[in-house]
Amino acid sequence: MNYELGEAVISLRDINKTYPGVVPLHVLKDVSLDIRKGELVSIMGASGSGKSTLLNILGILDNYDSGSYILDDVMIKDLSENRAAELRNRMIGFVFQSFNLINYKNALENVALPLFYQGVGRRKRNALAMEQLERMGLADRAHHLPGELSGGQKQRVAIARALVTKPSLILADEPTGALDSKTSKEVMQVFRDLNDAGMTIVIVTHDPSVGAATDRIIRIVDGRIETNDQLSMINDKRLIIDC
Amino acid sequence: MLDLIREISQTIKNNKLRTALTGIAVAWGIFMLIVLLGAARGVINSYENESSSSSVNSIRLWSGTTSMPYKGYKDGRWIRLQDKDMDAISGEVSAVSDVAISTSASGFNIVGPKDYISGGFEAVYPDEARTQRIFDIDGRFINQKDINDHRRVIVISRDNAALLFGDADEALGREVRAIGLSWKVVGVYTHRWRKSSFVPYTTYKAITGGDGYVDQMTVRVEGIATADEAEETESQVRSVLARRHEFDSSDSNAVWIWNQFAGYLKQGQAMIYLNLAVWVIGILTLLTGIVGVSNIMFVSVRERTHEIGIRRAIGAKPGSIIVQILAESVAITALFGYIGLVAGMAVLQVLDALLGDSQGFSNPTVDISIAVQVTVALIVAGAVAGLFPALKATKVKPVEALRDE
Repeated sequence: MNYELGEAVISLRDINKTYPGVVPLHVLKDVSLDIRKGELVSIMGASGSGKSTLLNILGILDNYDSGSYILDDVMIKDLSENRAAELRNRMIGFVFQSFNLINYKNALENVALPLFYQGVGRRKRNALAMEQLERMGLADRAHHLPGELSGGQKQRVAIARALVTKPSLILADEPTGALDSKTSKEVMQVFRDLNDAGMTIVIVTHDPSVGAATDRIIRIVDGRIETNDQLSMINDKRLIIDC
Repeated sequence: MLDLIREISQTIKNNKLRTALTGIAVAWGIFMLIVLLGAARGVINSYENESSSSSVNSIRLWSGTTSMPYKGYKDGRWIRLQDKDMDAISGEVSAVSDVAISTSASGFNIVGPKDYISGGFEAVYPDEARTQRIFDIDGRFINQKDINDHRRVIVISRDNAALLFGDADEALGREVRAIGLSWKVVGVYTHRWRKSSFVPYTTYKAITGGDGYVDQMTVRVEGIATADEAEETESQVRSVLARRHEFDSSDSNAVWIWNQFAGYLKQGQAMIYLNLAVWVIGILTLLTGIVGVSNIMFVSVRERTHEIGIRRAIGAKPGSIIVQILAESVAITALFGYIGLVAGMAVLQVLDALLGDSQGFSNPTVDISIAVQVTVALIVAGAVAGLFPALKATKVKPVEALRDE
């Protein structure tokens, strides 16, 4: 499979992050990283390695102390809450381990919610949300509440929500962590298909099989990027998932 | 806006019990406020009706007996009011606008074509109608011209008119006889229990020669605003009489004085306090409801930290979170407040129907303007109740909120 990798969507340079405290915790140390348009990348590391902090910074959910972060040509530094919210809404689609759906809203309403914050009218946002649910094969579940859906279905609703604003990239935090192995494979297949369609995807995981299913694994150890392996092109990545 | 309403109704539906409990606290607060205000209004209305139908700005005086020795006189001396006191009082006490005297003459009959009544009549001034609260009159009461011209006219009660003439409607313009003279009936009045007949004081005095002694005197005052001033006027009147009749001006038994005006002003003051107390109690009750809403909104924000985190992560700006929580708070307060308002009004209607114009309670309703003010206060209170929880909600960092499960 040939990948036409474009310019960098994410460009991190010498990012440092310290959590203050009696003993300050230096969680990210001079992290530099480029992720190109159309890549499917995994960030792997042990618990406490700093991978979640890195994800939060990438997702504009948290600030960093020094360095620079450019997301799709926008400098992400010292943003106001409003600007950060706007960029999160337009540029990033989040997928979380625990799905993070609002339990009293049905699938369609959950998917449409990011568009609500863009001020898109109800009819249009429902149509766009339905489009994404159809893409995830969940059109018949549109009016079900999250409690009425299986784990895999919930995660696909969450992916549909991440896609609905047509973001620059998808950030997934342990997206298969709460799923059984069969459903995990299905969800990873969804990511693969999206990536094939050109979507840039960053997955944070500690699951080697998930990492292996991506184009590149960024290993983070003790706040530093240890390896930045371009996986040798394997003819069929699905093979790895099946292992 | 429609979207916001939809969002609010969804969260309210999702938290029915919590919303209902909060709502009941608010509805109860408003209900109590309205019922208290209405009930107080009923008491105040009744008092105002009462005072407008009586001669409240007057001081009434009766003859009395001294209770202390004075300038060589011993105590127990009878002090009789005289018609000459009238001019002295109105001349010397500045607040006095008018003095009226009345005295009763008895020991003779009033004779009509059909029957007679024994007893006598009261010789009065025109103001007596107000003093005795005689308002329902066919014809008229004694007037100033009767006083000036010493006319032989008489005002009788309806019951007596029926007795004297066989038919009360026949009495007006006809004549009765008393103390050997004929008197023209110029007025027939209706009163719950009064039956006295009234003639002009000056006519009576001219006919009988009179000794100038009178039973009672009514002093009307003007330009007085406080109970203290009314009491000051009373002591001035007492001093004038003390000097003329030679008794100690501190001897309150020498002349009996009923200072209706001081009483009225004191009662008026009491009504202001009553009104104030009702507002304070009502607002405190309402405040309890508002604190309840605020508390519940805090709990709601705490419970929904995770949800707020999700919303923030997918692009909700702090402002939109504030607006949503404020709007929820205002919606709950306004909706349940309105229910309390309507329920309170309904209870007042029932009270009005049951008690109506009974003694001490009249028309216990709340003005529409009060209802509007209360509604506005509710909306403001709802916003205040929601403000602090809303601000707290925006302080939650999305990362921390998302971790909160």
